[in-house]
Amino acid sequence: MILRMSRARVLGPRAALPRTLEVLQDLGFLHLSAPASAPALAPGSLSPRELRLERQLRRMLDDVETALAQLGGKEPAPGPSPPPAPPWTAWARSARRTRHEADRLRERTQALNEERALLAKYQEVMTAFGGLFQRGVAPGVRAYLVVLRSGQGANLEKLRALLDVALRKDYELRSHPLAGGELVLLLLVPVGTAAHVERLLAESAVEQVPLPRGYEGQSLTDAVPRMVQRLHAIPGELAELDALRARMSERAAGLALARAVIQDRLARLDGLRLAASSAHAFVLEGWIPTTNLPDLVGRLAERVGPEVAVEEVAAEQWTAEAPVVLQNPRLFRPFQLLVGMLPLPRYGTIDPTPFVAIFFPLFFGLMVGDVGYGLLLFGTGLVLRWRSIPASRLRAVSEIAIGCALFTVIFGVLFGEFFGDLGRRWFGMRPLVLDREEPRDIVSFLGLCVALGLVHVVLGLALGVASAFRGHRRQAVGRGLSAVMILLIAAALLAVLKVLPHALLTPLVVALLVLFPLLVVAEGLVAPVELLSTVGNILSYARIMALGTASVMLAVVANRLAGAAGSLVVGIVFGLLFHLVNFLLALFSPTIHGLRLHYVEFFGRFYSPGGVQYRPFRHWRTT
Amino acid sequence: MQIFWITLSAATAIAIPALATAWAQSRIGPAAAASLAEKPELSTTVIVMLAIPETMSILGFVVAMFIMFRAGG
Repeated sequence: MILRMSRARVLGPRAALPRTLEVLQDLGFLHLSAPASAPALAPGSLSPRELRLERQLRRMLDDVETALAQLGGKEPAPGPSPPPAPPWTAWARSARRTRHEADRLRERTQALNEERALLAKYQEVMTAFGGLFQRGVAPGVRAYLVVLRSGQGANLEKLRALLDVALRKDYELRSHPLAGGELVLLLLVPVGTAAHVERLLAESAVEQVPLPRGYEGQSLTDAVPRMVQRLHAIPGELAELDALRARMSERAAGLALARAVIQDRLARLDGLRLAASSAHAFVLEGWIPTTNLPDLVGRLAERVGPEVAVEEVAAEQWTAEAPVVLQNPRLFRPFQLLVGMLPLPRYGTIDPTPFVAIFFPLFFGLMVGDVGYGLLLFGTGLVLRWRSIPASRLRAVSEIAIGCALFTVIFGVLFGEFFGDLGRRWFGMRPLVLDREEPRDIVSFLGLCVALGLVHVVLGLALGVASAFRGHRRQAVGRGLSAVMILLIAAALLAVLKVLPHALLTPLVVALLVLFPLLVVAEGLVAPVELLSTVGNILSYARIMALGTASVMLAVVANRLAGAAGSLVVGIVFGLLFHLVNFLLALFSPTIHGLRLHYVEFFGRFYSPGGVQYRPFRHWRTT
Repeated sequence: MQIFWITLSAATAIAIPALATAWAQSRIGPAAAASLAEKPELSTTVIVMLAIPETMSILGFVVAMFIMFRAGG
């Protein structure tokens, strides 16, 4: 359900405004909203001093948040309680210093990583020829590294022939294939022939390996040993930087406290903007859950003084839509996650969470309907619940999974399914209601699903009537007529199929013909199209049968294939794998289609999105 | 011969909607991926959008089953 809200107006002497905001922030009930304009009231604004303070706080916050982000790691919890007089100057200095140091650390780490990555590209070459360079190349010898691209291996012989003629075999040429298919060549020649060799290399269109940045001017014989040495030194330097970062992280808790205090102070400055004031008095307005209103009155009187008064603004004077708080019984609460995937419902409309909590696991159970898969899902849900923290999304997911698992087991018992037909073959399980492998029962199953769709959609229309009744009477009448006509159409179809007495057909058709013009009057010319679309939506529930039948057929196929494997071990492994795939499919498809049936077929009849999120004015906390 | 036509009819009843679903989802998929890259909060809409064309396959499956059952297959 959507929690009932009140609009509270807080009035008091202007001097008490800062203290009132502090207390309201401590209480954390009131969702502040600008008060209605009145001739004697000036809208809230900040003094030049407060504006300067705000600018300084925002700069400081920027430093603190950047420093915390640079330090990385787990989000530190702020300290136990903020000091009564925050040491702004010390915090500002510490934040700025930490930010700069963290910036430098990050840049240095990035540079070292880039250098290591660059040198690593040469590592294969250095490994191949490293021994030669470490022993040292004789003085008077110039070394060249050349790469022959993949498929240019024939050029090696051409180059060798050219060098034989030009240098009269006074050279050494070694080759080494690289992992990428290229061939790297190391050419050692007398210094005196260097110019001639370089010309030859250029004419042969082979590519010299350029030395990395920082080594460009050096000869290969000087550069390679230095590059090897550097590659070995970089991990040590990175470890030193990590240690430095770990030492700096000790400041993170202090910075987190500073951030919380700054955020709170900025929120109070924003609160001042939302307070209208006259020469001597202030007015603050906001939304509060009705149940919390007496508490607000008492606590303000107690902590600020009797000069501050609170009054409730009558609903007729509300100038904006109240924010929305969804509050449901413990059993239904996890399903708020599924409703929360859509924009919030508007205040005064219907929260569909209880209906989702009943129908979503029901549809899921009908689709999967297998004791074995249900138990697997139940186990998965329990593990997720154990690994999650209270009130987290994961906790909600785990509880939804447990609910769905229970329905899956119940329908599994009713359908007599345990990993498909394994229960029947091993334990003699028998279907109690429907046998989803029998063609006749599948048709009955289809009828059940469409009937369930009828109930769900008509319930949606009824909720639509209730939702529209207060504001849009004509719309409410239209939805009500649609619901009645859908029921009449269903009854007429049953009369045609002789499930109901055939004599009812004529009165039902007459009733439909009478109601049709009324529907057009209430909803306009689109009404017939809407009605047809509603019938289509009901038929869409056939997907429950289709997915359920596909699920059981896959499970049966898994068992048959496992049995046909010929070997016990291969059969078991194959069966387990196939069932695992089917289980994963059974998690995915029924969830998506269950959601779709709710979001499109059910919510479409009554859901009114666009609600404002309730954001009480309170102390800052990490999200 | 009759069994051939029954089987062919059932196969066609599921095959054509399946191809249509595949075509629709092939158009929705890239658009959905692009939208999610820009606005991850649209994930629910994307899921619903992707599930909508599957209705064709599901109804095709239902029709195919009816063809088989009515023919005593």
